[in-house]
Amino acid sequence: MTEDQQLQLQAFSDGELKGRGAREVAAWVARDPEAAALLKELRNTREALKGFAPQSKVPVSRELYWPGIERRIRTVERERAPSRSPEFLSMLRRLLMPASALAALLLIVTIAGLQSGLFQSAHKADTETAMADSGTFTYQDYASGTTLVWVGYPAER
Amino acid sequence: MAETDHSSADDGALVRAAQKGDTGAFEELVARHRDKIYARAYSMMRNEDEALDLSQEAWVKGWQRLNQFNRKSSFSTWMTRIVINLCLDELRKQKRHRSESIEEMGEEAGGVERQMPAVTANPTERLERGELRQRIDEAMRGLSHEHRTVLLLHEFEEMEYKEIARTMDCSIGTVMSRLFYARRKLAGLLSDLRSEN
Repeated sequence: MTEDQQLQLQAFSDGELKGRGAREVAAWVARDPEAAALLKELRNTREALKGFAPQSKVPVSRELYWPGIERRIRTVERERAPSRSPEFLSMLRRLLMPASALAALLLIVTIAGLQSGLFQSAHKADTETAMADSGTFTYQDYASGTTLVWVGYPAER
Repeated sequence: MAETDHSSADDGALVRAAQKGDTGAFEELVARHRDKIYARAYSMMRNEDEALDLSQEAWVKGWQRLNQFNRKSSFSTWMTRIVINLCLDELRKQKRHRSESIEEMGEEAGGVERQMPAVTANPTERLERGELRQRIDEAMRGLSHEHRTVLLLHEFEEMEYKEIARTMDCSIGTVMSRLFYARRKLAGLLSDLRSEN
């Protein structure tokens, strides 16, 4: 019997062959005693193993086994924690980007408004810095006819 | 706050609780299935320390991947697959560090077992259950990691050839060849027992 035939017989025994392939092997087994004997051995071995899955008990108590697992879980979760921060940052970025765009838009509108005099009050006032003394500021309110002067203290000479 | 008693909950309820971060529920799952998971690791590694370490590692992986558990299989089957994969990874690592023996090369090729005459007598006849278990365990120990693993996956995890090939990262032909060799060797060893008796 060739190696291929042996493996085919095994596949037939394991139900891995379907249709025509299975029918051909069944016919071969029926006329060849050697094939029939090997098929019987394969089936007997399989039968012998049934219900004999290897059994072993954990060689330590529950009180010793679980803490080892729990400790590893904690270690792994601690190690995974930094990997969450890029996710958090990316979420923050997604939220902040529209807010930043809105803020920039408001700034542009404000500057444009100021330049076009849109926000200029009818109530006019000027602030001046005297060139002679950079520590002195003069405020003049034309409407009320008031003038205020700030002098830096101590006044520089 | 009093701790929840999980002992009466079924596996499904415990998994749901554990998925929400309840480590107490997960501890109960570990207590229920730890022997099976350890037994799989031990049957593949044949080393108590490695089996203990890998079974614990499997539980950690299980905790990390709990949200991937889709309930298509039972929780214990799902966990068994995790420990099998960890053991296979470990065996691959170990294999890289050891040269293949002449005996193993012979096993891969089929060895003398391929030419052995068929054992038609039923090995389970006239044998006590305890004796048979002992002999099967001995015979399994006599197989290489690769052959034992193929046999375990096929006979006890009920995986098809295709699934075993995917799990073990080899061809279906290799799976068939290893399975055939493992069975023939096992048949020979069980037949020796009959002769002794």
